[in-house]
Amino acid sequence: MFVLGFHFPAEMGNKVPDEKVIEKLKDVDVSDVNEIKLLMGTKDKDKLWLSYTNKNTFLFKAMVHYFKEENPNKEQKYMIYMNRYQMSEIAKRVDASDDETMALCKNLDSMEQFRIEVA
Amino acid sequence: MAGSASLRQIAFYGKGGIGKSTTSQNTLAAMSHYFGKNIMIVGCDPKADSTRLILHEKAQDTILSLAAEMGTIEDVEMEQARLWGKGLFDRETPGGWINCTESGGPEPGVGCAGRGVITAINFLEEEGAYDEEGLDFVSYDVLGDVVCGGFAMPIREGKAQEIYIVMSGEMMAMYAANNISKGILKYANTGGVRLAGLICNARMTDREYDLALELAQRIGTQLIHFVPRNNIVQHAELRRMTVVEYSPSSDQAKEYKELARKIVYNDMKIIPTPVSMDELEDLLLEFGLEDEVDETQVGKAAEA
Repeated sequence: MFVLGFHFPAEMGNKVPDEKVIEKLKDVDVSDVNEIKLLMGTKDKDKLWLSYTNKNTFLFKAMVHYFKEENPNKEQKYMIYMNRYQMSEIAKRVDASDDETMALCKNLDSMEQFRIEVA
Repeated sequence: MAGSASLRQIAFYGKGGIGKSTTSQNTLAAMSHYFGKNIMIVGCDPKADSTRLILHEKAQDTILSLAAEMGTIEDVEMEQARLWGKGLFDRETPGGWINCTESGGPEPGVGCAGRGVITAINFLEEEGAYDEEGLDFVSYDVLGDVVCGGFAMPIREGKAQEIYIVMSGEMMAMYAANNISKGILKYANTGGVRLAGLICNARMTDREYDLALELAQRIGTQLIHFVPRNNIVQHAELRRMTVVEYSPSSDQAKEYKELARKIVYNDMKIIPTPVSMDELEDLLLEFGLEDEVDETQVGKAAEA
């Protein structure tokens, strides 16, 4: 089973508990990131920049991890649809009290493409 | 059974027209190119379109057509029936390689295509195609769903052990995915076949990810990947190429690379728990794919 690209052994079943996913992110350093910038839209359509700044959430950590992984030059990165949907799915449970996160999740759930940058 | 102990035999099943051949070839291309896997494709569709993107050809000669031409299957030579992939997938190119075979089938309306699949696989086994040094994966690309017992043959005979169902958030694709799960369940205990995951080849309909995920969980498996729709797939197909070769830095190539990685490292292979038709219909209602039926109106004409 794969969640956010992490592999979880088959014996954990097909519903991996959120805590196990959060545990995988425990060493992610977000101290050097103040803002996540998301470019929403495709080449053929109007694009929209979204900003996300709440550093105290699962979603922020998950996005920073996604951005930094295999990206030594810190270039803008395409977001794999499945990873993005899974981030939103978990955030809607664990970050439910944060309005900024919930607003972003609505966008993440769409069919649009996303690219990610950090500042 | 032929092949080494480490050889993995996988199969892509799914509703006709869902994009099995496109998805399988693009994924296998990524497994070979990015992860160095050596693969033999066994196309099990009379259309013989399971290898064209790897070979950069319209369609290769099928094992059955060669047998018809030569007189009998015994007269067919392995070199005629099994072609090396072109470009990135050639043996001379660094990385993995891909061998291509197509079973072929009878003329439309004549005979059983499933028997063609059986004949082709037996031929490949007898000729030692499964014993080739370095072969990591055999991949079967199978037409339609398993309503026809012939096409269940790779499952029934214990050839394909790891099944990936290509589906989408459309009703008939979900119905077929559930039906294929029933076929796997039927042979799971005798042949050791397992369901390894659903691949959503997205039509980009509303809540498609949620729906595909829910079906996967109810069947007891995983939604291994959500492949978004992207025109670059069709552009690559026009040149008879996979996206991995046509545009390796494209977003879609990254999607196939991720799906390939998951298949290479996948250890979740389960006996499925298909849902009943009522449950499936409830699921479609819940996600808005079907409208609630007013039972008092069933069978009444619009003008009544």
